[in-house]
Amino acid sequence: MEKRHSIKDDFSMLALLIIPIAVAVNFVGGQLASLLKLPFYLDTIGTIFAAMLCGPWVGAVAGTLTNIVTGIANPVNFAFIPVNLLVGLVTGFLSRKNMFSVWWKWIIAMVLMALTSIISAAPIVVLVFGGITGGGTSLITATAMAAGANIWAAVLGTEGVFTVVDRIISFFIGYFVIKVIPARTLVKFGCGGNYIRKDNSTSI
Amino acid sequence: MWREKLSIKKDNAIAALYPSAKFLIVCLYSFCSLIIGTIKIEGYPFFLIPWFLIVPILCAASGVWKNFIKAFNKVLFIAVIIFVVQSLFVPSETIIWQIGFIKVYEAGLQSAIVLSFSIMNIAGMFIWMFQTTENKEISRALEDSGMNYKVAYVFISTLQMIEVLGKSSKTIMNAQQARGVETEGNIFIRSKAFFPSMVPLILGAITNTEERVLTLESKGFDVKCKKTHLFEIEKSGKEKLAAVIAILITTLVIIGRVLAWVL
Repeated sequence: MEKRHSIKDDFSMLALLIIPIAVAVNFVGGQLASLLKLPFYLDTIGTIFAAMLCGPWVGAVAGTLTNIVTGIANPVNFAFIPVNLLVGLVTGFLSRKNMFSVWWKWIIAMVLMALTSIISAAPIVVLVFGGITGGGTSLITATAMAAGANIWAAVLGTEGVFTVVDRIISFFIGYFVIKVIPARTLVKFGCGGNYIRKDNSTSI
Repeated sequence: MWREKLSIKKDNAIAALYPSAKFLIVCLYSFCSLIIGTIKIEGYPFFLIPWFLIVPILCAASGVWKNFIKAFNKVLFIAVIIFVVQSLFVPSETIIWQIGFIKVYEAGLQSAIVLSFSIMNIAGMFIWMFQTTENKEISRALEDSGMNYKVAYVFISTLQMIEVLGKSSKTIMNAQQARGVETEGNIFIRSKAFFPSMVPLILGAITNTEERVLTLESKGFDVKCKKTHLFEIEKSGKEKLAAVIAILITTLVIIGRVLAWVL
């Protein structure tokens, strides 16, 4: 049975309440990562999670709102709104197409997610910030630039590696959480039906 | 009908401006910063530096100097790093200064000024807006400008949720440490501590939403009717004057840019 999607239906009451949680999870995840001195930002967990459950538009709103709210304290984050927005959109569309069901679909989904992040983040980092954002990865980028590497190559190289790992960790956390949510809750979410175990043999 | 009302009284005329007027000022200022960045004297966009003085002056005049400094530190940190990296590490043909092994390149210094001062200008102005406006004023202004009341609710609810989840993440971390999850050591040990802190946090939050849906629906959140407000904001009456001044300055900047082209 093919389900038809409308943007208005996506924003159900439950979805509206998931958005604040997603933003707060992004925020707390970022804080926790820096508290544990991990070399990743891990600040898209909430976006990915919301997009997996409620679809692309809710994910996009959650991503955008994250950067607006963190931008109140540090307006530099406004520049990265497109990155977080695209993370939500792409994850949501992948989830709607049920791309998180079999392991080989996972790999395709991960590659797509990582590619969107890198392609959308690199131009912002290079054109707005001249390659340096003040994060932990900036040190490596600066070293590569001083060694004579092209700024685009330096940014794509360092940001690329860290972004891929970052997205994989975020995705796994989101997936683990969804796996333990009971089916009676999952059915209330737009894309939740995709994660319900039909019988013991189907999902991984 | 008698209704209880809350409002914020501000003595400072600039800080008391209506949020949309402040937003207009921020937009025009950012636009001007981008234009001024293209006016160059011998390749250097020197005008950006005096232009930046407007931000601290405006903040001091609005009476938010201390908060401004606090918030601006983060932006300044990034701007300084960008400045240093751009001027020292981006090699080009002409070298301006050379002290020992440290070389300052011409093209690097030019782009360093553009990037770091543009960021400081635009980010500084946003800091001014958010330091002089309270969050509930923003959400109320959003609603008044014709946005759905749900948007305003999500915005305010997000700010509250960050506090709530921040607190519960500390509780969870403490509980997990008591159980023996290590949060110090090499990078793998620290990464392993990340999962048991995040998963219960998200799960707990999700479980609570179901109850909050019931609460909100029982209070008539979804009912289609005119909503009343406890919190009101009023225009201070100086919005038109502020807008005229901002537009006047923008026009002058555009004229200046055109003149620089012609001459």
